[in-house]
Amino acid sequence: MNLDFINLQPYANPQYFIYLMIALIPMIIGLYYGHRFKVYEAVFSLVFLFLIFDGIKWREGMNLIIYLVIQFVLTFAYLHYRKVGKNKTWVFCLAVILAIAPLALVKVQTAMPQKQIPGVLGFLGISYITFKTVQVIMEIRDGAIKKVNPITYLRFLLFFPTISSGPIDRYRRFAKECDVAPARDQYVSDLGYAVRYLFQGFLYKFVLGWFFGTYWLPRISRSALIVGNMNGGLKLSWWLVAYMYCYSMYLFFDFAGYSLFAVAISYFMGIHTPMNFNKPFMSKNIKEFWNRWHMTLSFWFRDYIYMRFTFFAMKKKLIKNRIRLSQVSYLLLFGIMGFWHGLTWYYIVYGIFHALAIIINDSWLRFKKKHKGKLPSNRFTKYFAIFVTFNVVCFSFLIFSGFLSQLWFGWK
Amino acid sequence: MNNKRRLWQIFGPVLCAFILLLVVFLLPWERTFSKDSVYQAANSQTTTIFKGSRMKQNAYQDGYVPFYGSSELSRMDPLHPSVLAEKYHRSYRPFLLGGPGSQSLAQFLGMQGTAEQLKNKKAVVIVSPQWFTKRGQDPNAFSLYYSPLQACNFILQARNTRTDRYAAKRFLKMPEVKGIIKSGMKTVARGGKLSTIQRLALDGRRRMLNNEDKFFSTFQLRDRIQKIRAQGKLLPDKYSIAGLDRVADEQAEKHTNSNDFGINNVFYKKRLNKRTLDRLKGSQRDFDYTKSAEYGDFELMLDQFAKQHTNVLFIIPPVNAKWSEYTGLSQKMYQKAVSKIKYQLRSQGFDNIKDLSKRGAQQHFMEDTIHLGWRGWVAVDQAVRPFMKKANLPYNYNIHNYFYSKKWQRKPYAALVNITDKNTLKVDQKDNLKGN
Repeated sequence: MNLDFINLQPYANPQYFIYLMIALIPMIIGLYYGHRFKVYEAVFSLVFLFLIFDGIKWREGMNLIIYLVIQFVLTFAYLHYRKVGKNKTWVFCLAVILAIAPLALVKVQTAMPQKQIPGVLGFLGISYITFKTVQVIMEIRDGAIKKVNPITYLRFLLFFPTISSGPIDRYRRFAKECDVAPARDQYVSDLGYAVRYLFQGFLYKFVLGWFFGTYWLPRISRSALIVGNMNGGLKLSWWLVAYMYCYSMYLFFDFAGYSLFAVAISYFMGIHTPMNFNKPFMSKNIKEFWNRWHMTLSFWFRDYIYMRFTFFAMKKKLIKNRIRLSQVSYLLLFGIMGFWHGLTWYYIVYGIFHALAIIINDSWLRFKKKHKGKLPSNRFTKYFAIFVTFNVVCFSFLIFSGFLSQLWFGWK
Repeated sequence: MNNKRRLWQIFGPVLCAFILLLVVFLLPWERTFSKDSVYQAANSQTTTIFKGSRMKQNAYQDGYVPFYGSSELSRMDPLHPSVLAEKYHRSYRPFLLGGPGSQSLAQFLGMQGTAEQLKNKKAVVIVSPQWFTKRGQDPNAFSLYYSPLQACNFILQARNTRTDRYAAKRFLKMPEVKGIIKSGMKTVARGGKLSTIQRLALDGRRRMLNNEDKFFSTFQLRDRIQKIRAQGKLLPDKYSIAGLDRVADEQAEKHTNSNDFGINNVFYKKRLNKRTLDRLKGSQRDFDYTKSAEYGDFELMLDQFAKQHTNVLFIIPPVNAKWSEYTGLSQKMYQKAVSKIKYQLRSQGFDNIKDLSKRGAQQHFMEDTIHLGWRGWVAVDQAVRPFMKKANLPYNYNIHNYFYSKKWQRKPYAALVNITDKNTLKVDQKDNLKGN
């Protein structure tokens, strides 16, 4: 097989944006004049999807297609089941489990690279598409979604700007927008935002992300390994602290930059993909942090895991104490999030660390409420809270980075 | 505010920025570098410098001499050529070019922008027999050293010769070569002429890359000047071979006391843990450096030197003898490869060869497994010093296309010919021309 194709990974380098913007021009002109060229949009999306999954990545492309077939069969079978009026819990659970199964298998496989599960292979963006399908199945169960248009569903799942790393949109929101053109006034404002986000993204990903990730991080990491190995014991050194902050900055600017690109390109296409980051390092506590960091993911987890588990446990009276209940829910939520990142100790520890942080934060908030008026609350305490939250978060990212694993055990 | 005005306010600045960017990148900027940054660059061995042009051009005009090599150049002990040149205020300064995995093809590409500046000047090449593996230049390493700028230079200057066609074919085997450069390479490999559009596109690309090189080549320089000065302090104030040898032994003694191989302690500790050591035992028994695509790539370098009439000193290093015994690397094969390399050099008129390949057993000669160190550098200096003292005379070489042939690449071994014996050469030449 000739693999000598052009293969373009989304937003990977500045040149990509030149191709992308040229291809977007007809769509932008159309939307400005109140027309949505759906055929052009489809061709455009297919071409750019093809460029992600062609060449040496063709196997990933095949997996994407197989995956889509499975998810379609599943979604419409469950939709049909609900339409005929039946609503058994076990059927719902089965549907959700089946929808998650491919992702789970891929995660298991990546954790054990030496063991190949036959026929299972991931593709770029599998997590994000899975989040979307699971959400649709859950809302079908709720009755919030009564109709799924196959074409719209396909466009929703394969929405090109967000396929590889989110943000995770909601089906009902997407379906409302994807067939009509926005009003001209609205669209011109959108274009303004789009350009702003695009350039903010350039600053984040190609300037700041580059400095932290490509320029500084490898140097700091090398020093941390050398000095750490000299020190022995836990191999701690000031370089490790530098690594923690540098990695945190890199993680934020790289991911936030990516999300900004995805939002900007969506806005050019007349779709209001939700924002993913909102000044997360300004958070005064860990709970607020999760309302500002990777927002579409944390809201997804809140709506489809935390809330559902809490209602379920309340209804079945599994845990009577409400405080205990929310603590268990947090552990579950962040535990699952840790597992989702990957089956290695540091992702799982990262998840549990955040669960504990929120549990501690909650009890502190309760303590504060009880002693209202006795505790000082001024500008200093506010900045102190931001400072503490920032450092707790950065420490969690140090765990997340897997660097400790490399430092202590020599594996990545 | 009407919508047209708003649109202009949104996209106007973007358009302006874009036009400004194009103007900045396409204008022919000039730039000179400070003496300090040239000195830093000469010893930095960063890939940015390797791939660039301007810094090298500047340096060669200032009396720097390129030292083409690979990973041994980063073994900066007190006897390293850069330290010696600094300490004894030599008339030349080495400009270190290469690093791990830079073999002939990468070096040939890196030489593209500096033909003018090296005309009738001197150069040193440390040619490692380890480069001469079956497939030659490792594509992954090549991508590290691949310079689109030099590739543009190459294509735009290429003519329909065996050398240029051969080089283009080799470049096309490297996955890093992409886009308009790839299509240009295809044209050169075919022996065709570039179309006007191709030329225009490549010219524009080259101008941009040249500007990028001028703006950014002082970024991320690795500053080793302090290190060089500190190492220099360990040397005797007055130059003498005996004095250098003494320092070499002292230093080597101190830095190799953790193992029986004579390998630098840090290297040994970091790179050769018990597991790696066990795995490497006997692992090089089947290595064969006598049959290699590298011989063709090496010829590209030689051809480039011939074109520039550069006077080149070649240094052939040995392998640490204890190490080669441990890994099973055959010394006999190594010597065959060395004589094949020497044949390729001598028969084309490259007579300045310092063959150190038999000295791998000498104590403190090697810094680690395959890299020259302390005493090795002293031996190098004994060739470099007199070589640099000679006047710069235009050199003429006789390049033979035979050395590009598969036949030569696969030939197991070439016995050294006596260059003065015209008959042997003649017979061989006839053979050569047939083989072409």
